[in-house]
Amino acid sequence: MRCTRRHFLKLSAAGAAAAALPLDVAPVLAQSGPVRLGILVAKAGVLAPVGESGLRGVQFATDRINGAGGILGRKLELVIEEESSPKDTVERFRKLALQHKVDAVSGAISTGVGLALGPAAEEMKTIWLSWDATTQKGVEESMPKPKYSFRSTDNECEAVMASILTARHWKGRFKTVAGINPDYSYGRDNWAAFLAIMKKYGIEAQVVSELWPKLGATDFTSHVATLAQARPDLIFSCFWAGDTPIFMKQAHAAGLTRSTKLVLTTGGGVHESLKKDFTPEGALLGYNCFYFENTKASALAREFTRWHHDKFKEWPNYESDHGYFTVAAFKAAVERAARAGGGKWPTQDAIIQALEGVEAESLSGPRRYREDHIMEATFFQGFTTHKNKHDFVTIDPVESMGTKQIQKPSGVGLYDWINGWKV
Amino acid sequence: MLFLVAAGLQLVFGVQKILNLACGSFYALGAYAGVSAVRAALAAGLPAPLFFPVLLGAGLALAVIGPAIERLLRPIYDRDESFQLLLTFALVLMFEDVIRFVWGTAPHQLGNVYLTYGQVRVGALTVPTYNLVVIACGAAIAAGMGWFLARTRFGRIVRATAENREMAEAMGVDMARVYSRVFTLGVALGTVGGALVIPATAAVNEMGIDLIVEAFAVVVIGGLGSMRGAFAGALIVGVVKAVAIATWPEVEMLAIYVIVIAVLVLRPAGLFARATA
Repeated sequence: MRCTRRHFLKLSAAGAAAAALPLDVAPVLAQSGPVRLGILVAKAGVLAPVGESGLRGVQFATDRINGAGGILGRKLELVIEEESSPKDTVERFRKLALQHKVDAVSGAISTGVGLALGPAAEEMKTIWLSWDATTQKGVEESMPKPKYSFRSTDNECEAVMASILTARHWKGRFKTVAGINPDYSYGRDNWAAFLAIMKKYGIEAQVVSELWPKLGATDFTSHVATLAQARPDLIFSCFWAGDTPIFMKQAHAAGLTRSTKLVLTTGGGVHESLKKDFTPEGALLGYNCFYFENTKASALAREFTRWHHDKFKEWPNYESDHGYFTVAAFKAAVERAARAGGGKWPTQDAIIQALEGVEAESLSGPRRYREDHIMEATFFQGFTTHKNKHDFVTIDPVESMGTKQIQKPSGVGLYDWINGWKV
Repeated sequence: MLFLVAAGLQLVFGVQKILNLACGSFYALGAYAGVSAVRAALAAGLPAPLFFPVLLGAGLALAVIGPAIERLLRPIYDRDESFQLLLTFALVLMFEDVIRFVWGTAPHQLGNVYLTYGQVRVGALTVPTYNLVVIACGAAIAAGMGWFLARTRFGRIVRATAENREMAEAMGVDMARVYSRVFTLGVALGTVGGALVIPATAAVNEMGIDLIVEAFAVVVIGGLGSMRGAFAGALIVGVVKAVAIATWPEVEMLAIYVIVIAVLVLRPAGLFARATA
């Protein structure tokens, strides 16, 4: 047979694959069958869109990993359960650990659920990689030195970054501030962090109104009327769900968005609903750790954004990145541990050890887990613009900050950390 | 809006003696249907100012689900209230899934039709004209309901049934038909309420459950089964909420329930309950 060029290429590709095989095949013999990853995803209520987004990130990661041969040759299999109330979610966590015998669990968004899952993970001795679910209060108490739980970035990162940007761009340009934030730990902590940082930057802004609508509220007309009367120069809000467009729409209708400066720390999570019709230009808008139109995005991020838009007809948001990272980090940790252990499928303890400090490429760039089990990531915020091809606002220019700058270091209280800044 | 849903709840309870938690779902369904209908109409080239009749039509059209759901509730008419609460709550959960299935989990909204009718300045405040249109519409529906119940033949039958079912039945009233129609009317009040509120807000899945709680506060304050009570109760809850938010935002929910408790202690049947109801 004549050796054509195509034939030769095929042969050499097979040869290269065979050369790569020994590393990957050996562990399969030791540990066969798929790797099972339990997923806890919110499907109802305010959290549902966020949960859905996280799941998409996980699915994208899983497809990619399996397409490239799995983790050390083992296919990755997802066992999906619902995140609902803390009690029920803990039950499902047990089910994943005992019945499905998963290798790790990824998921959970609600801090309330997270507080219950932390101790459950320790008790069940099952690795839990949280997507979110980590505001300040309570988390430290319930998970002081977790072994099996790996937490997300601090929820206050967004407020810290937005506050720094506020001070940097608007210092001296506002005298009165008002806050409208959802009435639970996330809203309260973010507002407190904002005020603390304003003080740190020597901005003596007078608080003219503090409003606390309950999470998931859909009517803000009374709040907007109150804000209109208080006439603040700047409004700070960490709304992150359907509340964001509703508030913006009602605020716009009341003429509140014309001259007031707006700081929306997390509204980028529902960016497609922030239509140009009622969202002004020049508002500070945060996208957490993933901005879909980042000009500096990696090839991976671009591929994901395309995949997401083709498949769901929507532009992705940050929770996908959290979800993606947990899976990518798990794979990276298994491989890291296997390298250290001579290529065998590692023990759970070895995987945990490898997760500490592990780095993996995520949709927002390289991310890692700190040694104290907390995620590190890059956050994106910027000022809104109408100059784009969409019917909703985007940001330009895009500012990014790493958690090294906006997340408190290990073992330090949030406010002690802020007070210790040199500005 | 609250009035419409509470009125639906009142009507159904007054006549059929059913505590219908699903009224919140009708509200949510109305909102979603409203979004879809207006979107479709605008895409088909309808001039923007005509969105209001489309919303109204979508809300009314959706009431066709009324008779089918009423049929489902029939087995529990004469049973304990707890069965009614359970069954109607089951409906709430099922409708929530239906919405998720049809419309997905992301909030749905109608760009900026909200300001199509412009804004009016009232003192220092800017109020969208649409809000006034909705208030007028609510008042018109309240007046219409009053006229319907007091003046029309069917209204008299409805009142008679609410007063004494056996007697009305003995007089030759076709109960099944009255129930079916009254329930459908109750559904329509909810769906229209949901459809009308949508330009000012976004349709989110949990909006139904949120509203049920407030609607119950309205009903307790106004008195179960009383249409005037629903109107007064909705006004009281709305005003108390607004005042609380403006003066002491922490007590927004508390303030409403303080009134609920006061009414329960002082006038357990509600402000507008008739002795016979």
